[in-house]
Amino acid sequence: MADVTITRTGLPAEAGQVSSLQRLMRRKSTIAFIMTLPLLLVIFTLVAYPAFYSLHLATLNKSMVRFVGLGNFEFLFGRETFWLVVYQSCLFAVTAVIFKAIIGFTVAHFVHNIPSKGQRKWRGMLLVPWVIPPAMSTLAWLWLFDPSYSAFNWLLAHVGVAPVSWTGNTHWARFSVILVNIWVGAPFFMIMYLAALKSVPEQLYEASEIDGANWWQRIWYITLPMMRNIISITALFSLIVTFANFDIVRVLTGGGPLDSTHLFATWAFRVGIESGDIPLGACVSLFMVPILAVAATLILRDIGKRGNEA
Amino acid sequence: MADTALATGAPTRALKYGSIAKDRRWALRLSYFFLTLFAIFFLMPPIYMFITSLKTSAEISAETNPWWVFNPTLANYIELLTQDTYLIFFRNSAMVSVIVVTISMLISVFAAFALARMRFWGSTLLATGVFLTYLIPETLLFIPLFKMMAMVRDATGIELMNNWWTMIILYPTLTVPFCTWIMIGYFASIPKELDEAALIDGATWIQTLTKIFIPVALPGIIAATIFAFTVSWAQFLYPLAFTTSTDQLVLPVGIITTLIKGDVFNWGQIMTGALLGAAPPLIIYAFLMDYYIAGLTAGATKG
Amino acid sequence: MSKRASKLSRRRFIANTALASTALIAAPYVRGANAAGKLSIGFWDHWVPGANDATKQLATEWAAKEKVDIQIDHITSQANKLRLTASAEAQAGAGHDILHFGSWWVNEMADKLEPVDDVMAALIKLNGAVNPTVRYLGQKDGKWMAVPATTGSQIKGPCSRIDLMKQHAGIDVQAMYPAGGPPKADNWTLETFLKAAEACHKGGHPFGIGLGVTADSSDTIGALFHAFGAALVDAKGNITAKSDPVRQSLDYYKQLMAFLPQDVSAWDDATNNKWLVAGKGAMIMNPPSAWAVAKRDAPKVAEQLWTHGFPSGPKGRFAPFTPTFWATWKFSKNKPAAKSLLAYLSQPAAVEKMVAASNGFDLPSFANMTELKTWAEEGPPKGTLYHYPNPHNHQILSVAATPAPHAIAVQIYTHGLMCKLAVRHFQGEAMEKTLDYAVKELEGYMRT
Repeated sequence: MADVTITRTGLPAEAGQVSSLQRLMRRKSTIAFIMTLPLLLVIFTLVAYPAFYSLHLATLNKSMVRFVGLGNFEFLFGRETFWLVVYQSCLFAVTAVIFKAIIGFTVAHFVHNIPSKGQRKWRGMLLVPWVIPPAMSTLAWLWLFDPSYSAFNWLLAHVGVAPVSWTGNTHWARFSVILVNIWVGAPFFMIMYLAALKSVPEQLYEASEIDGANWWQRIWYITLPMMRNIISITALFSLIVTFANFDIVRVLTGGGPLDSTHLFATWAFRVGIESGDIPLGACVSLFMVPILAVAATLILRDIGKRGNEA
Repeated sequence: MADTALATGAPTRALKYGSIAKDRRWALRLSYFFLTLFAIFFLMPPIYMFITSLKTSAEISAETNPWWVFNPTLANYIELLTQDTYLIFFRNSAMVSVIVVTISMLISVFAAFALARMRFWGSTLLATGVFLTYLIPETLLFIPLFKMMAMVRDATGIELMNNWWTMIILYPTLTVPFCTWIMIGYFASIPKELDEAALIDGATWIQTLTKIFIPVALPGIIAATIFAFTVSWAQFLYPLAFTTSTDQLVLPVGIITTLIKGDVFNWGQIMTGALLGAAPPLIIYAFLMDYYIAGLTAGATKG
Repeated sequence: MSKRASKLSRRRFIANTALASTALIAAPYVRGANAAGKLSIGFWDHWVPGANDATKQLATEWAAKEKVDIQIDHITSQANKLRLTASAEAQAGAGHDILHFGSWWVNEMADKLEPVDDVMAALIKLNGAVNPTVRYLGQKDGKWMAVPATTGSQIKGPCSRIDLMKQHAGIDVQAMYPAGGPPKADNWTLETFLKAAEACHKGGHPFGIGLGVTADSSDTIGALFHAFGAALVDAKGNITAKSDPVRQSLDYYKQLMAFLPQDVSAWDDATNNKWLVAGKGAMIMNPPSAWAVAKRDAPKVAEQLWTHGFPSGPKGRFAPFTPTFWATWKFSKNKPAAKSLLAYLSQPAAVEKMVAASNGFDLPSFANMTELKTWAEEGPPKGTLYHYPNPHNHQILSVAATPAPHAIAVQIYTHGLMCKLAVRHFQGEAMEKTLDYAVKELEGYMRT
């Protein structure tokens, strides 16, 4: 409420100074505008404009010379691969986020449980997957999953299990892609939940202990309700990122086998850039919008809460 | 907010629950056990990268224990680090990241200050808009951007395709919104009395920002800087779609496109390249972990 | 045989005329026009270590002679880099003066390319004819738009393990394809192949034939489709997926896939190589790069490898051939120099140098260039590459998805459509349902 302050300081001033006050006001908004101008430029030219431009692109034919209206969408709806991609993107995002949340919560809980002087070390180790650029770490997974040299299969062979074709058949390939995503994303949940756990007042646990609550009841009646906001924001945020994921699938499976691991982003890349069908690629990626919009609205509600508190 | 994450000293609960010490000990052992399991899961790929990076191609092809190095060699490291192309990737990545971080921080600190303190018409709406922008993934934008580059070329003759510096134009879209958002949060937590006093004393807005806000919000600035750096260093889609020549590639794309050579594979080198590529963020993280975590949880602890 | 005789005489002809022709072809373009100037070249970044040096040396040699400033890039084809470079340059109307083109791109970007009929006419006279596949890919409306490149062109025939094929399938590949002599492969048919695949599968060393979406997979299945006379789209652009040869091919694959590793539908161009080098399989379909890697990393495996011809089917013996090209853009500022270099790079001496530098991997497209020293002598085992360049015209060199029009064929090829059909059918989808899917996809490829 900086402006209120200024008006207040200006109040006792004499009439002659009002104009200079107005000038100050004007100057303030001018300065503020100049300060935000670069931000606005970035957002409008490189985010907002392309976003709307892709709507336009989506209505053109392949060579981008003719307006075809909703023809591209019609064409997409008629293709089996498209519906496969819709199904996979949803399956991928929902499954990965659920497991990331569960693993993140569990790990955060364990870290929170141990004496505080050791926490930093564990937290440091457990956050490593999130720090490595995903394109790099996925290469390690790719090598771990290699059909001929898989180090996992080597271990499995020693306990008498037949080699798994990690990226080879539909189910395992989906499993692998989701696994890597969980591996990359779970530490983020862990760190968020840990921060939230620390903000739960200790007295609540003490009180419940006296009331004879067991650990499960403590989690269910104290921890989870106290963390509800963080859990939902983190999950929604992660849902967006996971849903729009590109790196992991691109490096690990390239969408195969039989397109069974393609997501919107990877398929749009294949169709739009690699097959030179830019309008169709734009159409494909536009299908991310409804889901993103829902998630964004929900996040926005929480952000609104934050705004009121701040 | 920084304090929450920076504070390592959570209350030691063992003392408080002295009466049920046995339970606690049991729970503690269980915690350590599971933490070890998770640590194995979380650290296995980077460790395996490291193991493989020390092997020769012959050892990788041999049917030996993949989890052990029998004849360790630094040949992969030496070969990569004396290879022009890899050093060019590294240089490109470093240049892009450093410049993008600088630009992002300049843009977002000023904008955040204006949005947090200099309330003006539409500023609240804009603040929300900034955050929403962050939620628009690059996977939605790369196709229109691809076409837009052709438009820019036709209109101005400036070739944006296949230039590493194009990344400097594009990456801020990924960093600026979130950095601004973090900084708005930090600035909002600074007591209003501070800047009010400064303004009454006749300080200009710029002075208020540089003399008061930036020093006080330094942890937040460091957090945002680290965030911007990691994002720029890791970005994969834009350079994959928009750069092609070997001398224009950044690390992630360079490693994946040049070290994996269709038919002939050299996994020792690929793993070395990936590990070295992951090194800068890992090193920064090792030294500034607390700021990093503060940045990550910036939105959360407020909520 | 008369064929051999004529070949010999042609070879003698080369020896006599090689020097003269160099001058003949190279001279008029440059010396007559502006001798100096600049030229930038984007060569393919070769997989075989050291092979880039050959192209670099040749271009430098030429430049020194013609007093042209050259700039050489070696661009990788991995992750479509080379392909994206080509389309970016085509769109921009600026870029390298000479660029390496993948098999299919010449036709796609033909309107941006400088015709090279003159260069090709001279080269064919010098080096012998080129087969219809090279013409299909390198010509547009009867005009040569590019010169077939020696580097990167390949025949992806079988590369077999001598020991394992003997042990499991009772087939002596060296006897069938003896080094230095014509093949004795009349019994090497698709039925024999299937039996061998079954035997090797039983013996624990299945054939490693990918059915993914990358080039190796498409090439193999493309040749087998041809062996049945199957085409998804005919030369006029009509969809012919619902035809008996296609059904036969898919049924054949259904039987074959039962004897392949389980995860072949996810294989890429490197997986089959690793499969062979790791000693897991008895055969893959690949140019000699797998053998070269084995020589480096697993010499014991390399000693047992033998590159040979494809099995024959009802409609003949087809082998997948993917010639690549060098071309110059219409917008190039120094076309005479570019053409001169294009000619220079296909002189017999230059070709021989590239083949040697790539350990026999590179493959000239000209009829008289199939019996170079490198292939006869590379080893161990000595002669392992003798049959790689198809020296006895034993098999028809074809490229997958022909005779469909280029714009459709390239999509069938790059989307791995034939592989997808084979996998779907193998996984139990009814034949007609698979073919329905094929028709739907093909209609998509015909979008304009």
